[in-house]
Amino acid sequence: MNTPTPTPAPRSRAELIASLSEEITPVRRVKPSQGYALIALGSVVAAVISVVLHRLWMGIFAGEASSYFWIINGLLLVLGIASTAGLVAGSLPRVGARGNAPAWSAAMLAVVPVAALLGIATAAPGDTHATSGLMFWKCALYALCAGLLVAGSAIAVLRRGAPVSLERSGWLTGLAAGSLGSIAYGITCPLDSLAHVGIIHVLPVPIAAVIGRFVVPPLIRW
Amino acid sequence: MVADEPTFARLMVAAQNGDKAATNVLLSEVGVWLERYFRRRVPPHSIDDLVQEVLIAFYTKRATWDPSRAFLPWLAAIARYRWVDHLRKVYKHESKELLEDDAVEDSEEEVVMARVSLDRLFGELPAAQAEAIELVKIGGLSIRETAEKTGQSESLVKVNIHRGLKKLAALVEKAD
Repeated sequence: MNTPTPTPAPRSRAELIASLSEEITPVRRVKPSQGYALIALGSVVAAVISVVLHRLWMGIFAGEASSYFWIINGLLLVLGIASTAGLVAGSLPRVGARGNAPAWSAAMLAVVPVAALLGIATAAPGDTHATSGLMFWKCALYALCAGLLVAGSAIAVLRRGAPVSLERSGWLTGLAAGSLGSIAYGITCPLDSLAHVGIIHVLPVPIAAVIGRFVVPPLIRW
Repeated sequence: MVADEPTFARLMVAAQNGDKAATNVLLSEVGVWLERYFRRRVPPHSIDDLVQEVLIAFYTKRATWDPSRAFLPWLAAIARYRWVDHLRKVYKHESKELLEDDAVEDSEEEVVMARVSLDRLFGELPAAQAEAIELVKIGGLSIRETAEKTGQSESLVKVNIHRGLKKLAALVEKAD
């Protein structure tokens, strides 16, 4: 005759500790440098794929790129570095003050599209220079696609670590993906007007940040 | 007596290297530390479950501790993360309950957190939300009784509890 299987009693803490201790194995420590390296690798791969698909804009090396190109891509790089630093630091559990460099970097970058829009709004009738390149909105799409690779690397870093602020990690992933993805694609784009680079190439940043805020937390929850 | 920072750090290095005896001592000491940590934050009957949950998280994520950094802030961050997760589960449960049923269950299990922590956090909530949560979730009044006592409609009481609990969970997550 079969005897009913007794319902197992809830495991006591002592039993849990004994079992975990028995199963312990050596681990390789998670290092911030690995996180930086992985996100840098994702960005480089995104840039290489962009170059393969769209060809590198040689005007960058021929001195044809406008100041807007350098300034805006420089701001994107600063934001990319700041958000990557915040993201990697946040991938390891810690308490205490968090730097707000990504927020300030994003605020500085936000000045650019505002300036571009003001330029468009105050341009003389018939002045096409102010709106030059605005219709090439697909650049924003390509930059977002490049950002996917950066986001993938960032998510891998976060999953390997133990982020304790999922919402913040989501924002930072989006900011890093948007800014570094935009640079990765941007080296192939010959349009360097303020309107184009300042609006179309900056647009992926807020879009990716909002997507990151909502998509990333469920992927990194532990 | 709970182990001090250098002892924790030494045991943790040994645990990261796979030392079974050190791991056993470390987990026991961490358990005691966590018990103290949660004593002021969750109802007494929830402490052991939460401690065990954190011990498993601690064990799983042991590779994320860097010996060049302090151990206890790292442990506190994991404990707080699990606590927030616990609050979220409670919040989800409470929201579902409020949407499905007018009556309030008498289960203490779903009380959001111990009063000590709530008093400080309540200061951050709008008065109507804090009052609704306090009367229903801590005082044990029904939605109807709370509505009569506060002058809010029954729907408003439910909305205030729903929004207040959500905000509480967010406040705890943001607080460092």
